[in-house]
Amino acid sequence: MTDKKQGNAFVNNPIVRAIGVQKIVVVIVLIAMILFFSAMSPAFRQYSTLLSIMDYTYYLAFLGIGVTFCLITGGVDLSIGTGMFCYALIGGYLINYVHTPVIVGILATIVCGLIAGTINGLIVSKGGHAPFLATLCTMMIVRGLGALVTGGSSITWPGASAPNGWTRTLFKMDMGGTKVPLGFLWVLILAVAMSIFLNKSRPGRYIIAIGSNKEATRLSGVNVAVYQTLAYIISGVFTGLAALAYSSAFQSMTPGGGGGIELNAIGGAIIGGTSMSGGAGTIAGTILGVFIMSVLQTGLPLIGIQANFQQIIIGIVLIVAVYIDVLKNKKLA
Amino acid sequence: MKRKLLTALLCVTLAAGLLAGCGKKEKSEETPAPETQEETSEEENEEPAAEAENLSFEIVSKGLQQQYWQAVKNGVEQKAEELGVNVNFVGPASEADINDQVQMLENALNSSPSAIGLAALDTNSVMDLLSQAMDKNVPIIGFDSGVPNAPEGSVQATCATNNYAAGALAAEKIYEAVKDRIDGTVRIGVLTPDATADSTIQRGLGFIDKIAELAKADNYTSTVVGNEKYVNDSQCEKTDNANVIIDVRVPASMTSELSAADATSLMNEGDTVAIFAVNEHSANAIITANENLNKCGTGEGQIVAGGFDSGAAQVQAVREGILIGSITQAPVEMGKILVQNLYDAATGKPVEDTDTGCQWYTAENMDDPEIAQNLYE
Repeated sequence: MTDKKQGNAFVNNPIVRAIGVQKIVVVIVLIAMILFFSAMSPAFRQYSTLLSIMDYTYYLAFLGIGVTFCLITGGVDLSIGTGMFCYALIGGYLINYVHTPVIVGILATIVCGLIAGTINGLIVSKGGHAPFLATLCTMMIVRGLGALVTGGSSITWPGASAPNGWTRTLFKMDMGGTKVPLGFLWVLILAVAMSIFLNKSRPGRYIIAIGSNKEATRLSGVNVAVYQTLAYIISGVFTGLAALAYSSAFQSMTPGGGGGIELNAIGGAIIGGTSMSGGAGTIAGTILGVFIMSVLQTGLPLIGIQANFQQIIIGIVLIVAVYIDVLKNKKLA
Repeated sequence: MKRKLLTALLCVTLAAGLLAGCGKKEKSEETPAPETQEETSEEENEEPAAEAENLSFEIVSKGLQQQYWQAVKNGVEQKAEELGVNVNFVGPASEADINDQVQMLENALNSSPSAIGLAALDTNSVMDLLSQAMDKNVPIIGFDSGVPNAPEGSVQATCATNNYAAGALAAEKIYEAVKDRIDGTVRIGVLTPDATADSTIQRGLGFIDKIAELAKADNYTSTVVGNEKYVNDSQCEKTDNANVIIDVRVPASMTSELSAADATSLMNEGDTVAIFAVNEHSANAIITANENLNKCGTGEGQIVAGGFDSGAAQVQAVREGILIGSITQAPVEMGKILVQNLYDAATGKPVEDTDTGCQWYTAENMDDPEIAQNLYE
């Protein structure tokens, strides 16, 4: 991909080729960022910072893994940020107000994601809507839906010390007074599984093929609509998982919130080398990209950057990432 | 064509399912009494009771969002039932939806109610509508944060917690807990969700001014840093190298992950001795941050944290000593007083501003019936 141009010993190195130039650059940038924040802020060097970074990583990683599939088909899913809030609100509502067992709330959260993902997929593949517009519409719908279901109140998932707060230990476990970021294990397992699915399985390869050339894929006898829908379903289910991760880390969510978070996840995917124009992308890259976002989100406040400037900086980082993507595509053309 | 039809059908089924789901929910959420009351009162409107009370009130709150608003609504419904009046209680999906609230107020005004109750998210954006209400002779009663700087005569009275005094009360309690630790420079953090809503601004300013006043009485200097709105509006005399730095943090938008980042960064400042959250959302952010940092408490080197309002997480945190205490308002009472004021205003009786009160609750006193009635999960 990136390394189509000739010359340059680094780029032609077989190991570099195997991993991908962009991923290596992202790792270097990530290390540089961590060193920078560590030098600027003593607080950043504490163990608790790792826990904070992980809190941001979990939900962004799940959103990122899901949306990578949509991006690879050449589409996008803008409903994931507000969707994440909506599904967590519905699941939390069942636990708090309908008093269902926690597991029902968890399943409901994931099923909500599944349903929304299916609808997104059908509107895009069967309805022929432009993905950004279709998912922008579902974004509005889930935004209102969350508020409607909870009667407009914010929802707090059970606390870690509450009798039914066991969900939270799934992501952060207390082992003899030390908190262990257990959630990273789940992110890792799912990332590996989805990476194998994307690259080794037939549906995964079809999803990539659709993004490279939809018409050619259709002509070769692949039912494009099915696999396009599948990408959005995956995105929806992972949004449900992200909702669990978010409520586990931050506990409460307000109806109507979550807008803008999708850009952090999409940005993570693009930084990691997934192309906005489809056909290329890796889950490993997305996870690396997401770490850039979560380290920024943890580090910027610690070095005393005011809240509004944090948003501006993250916005600029995204513009740069997309620009690199555009340059890459130009080189390929 | 067939497929498109199928898609459309799927959407309709889903929508129907959702509506059905929502209907169920209202039953479980609200106590049956007010619900049946609501239904019957609508019928009454056309049938028998119409001769007695034709009054209908529109109440535009800042959200239905926090459980706090549900408690206000609860008080509103109780009083409405008692007086036999119709009340329509609405609010935007989130406290960020200023435009939605303006729209709701406009709709309320267009339905020509007997009176309107309003808790403005942003005072400036409702100015025009207030003048219109005056032209139409619809009295407006402010509640919660009210409508400060409203055109003369448009808002007849406000029933609200005196937020400035409530913030000052929290300052007294928190200062008391940390005053012996003022040695060299200490930092007292203030965590607020926004710099637009008057209620949270007043709480923050009340807290800042009181801390500065108490510090001055003990011969310490103080200063305010962080969000400019608070720095400029507080009465604290800013001094260089102050003994007490009051550090105000406002997230870019009111979501848990951004507020938690602010709380984390405040608590990571080496000289922070105390932190005050001006509402439930911000208090939850302190609790979240403390899960990673484990710094809140009253012990040596720990951070004294205080909150505002209640909610399950916060009540639990006060009980466990993560927060040394928190301020509770009287939302149920506020709802009742609001409806009474609307009633009086609509029937031409004089109305005046009412302080609906607040209390500082701690692990020790939170089970007293007088306080417990204002705590909600």
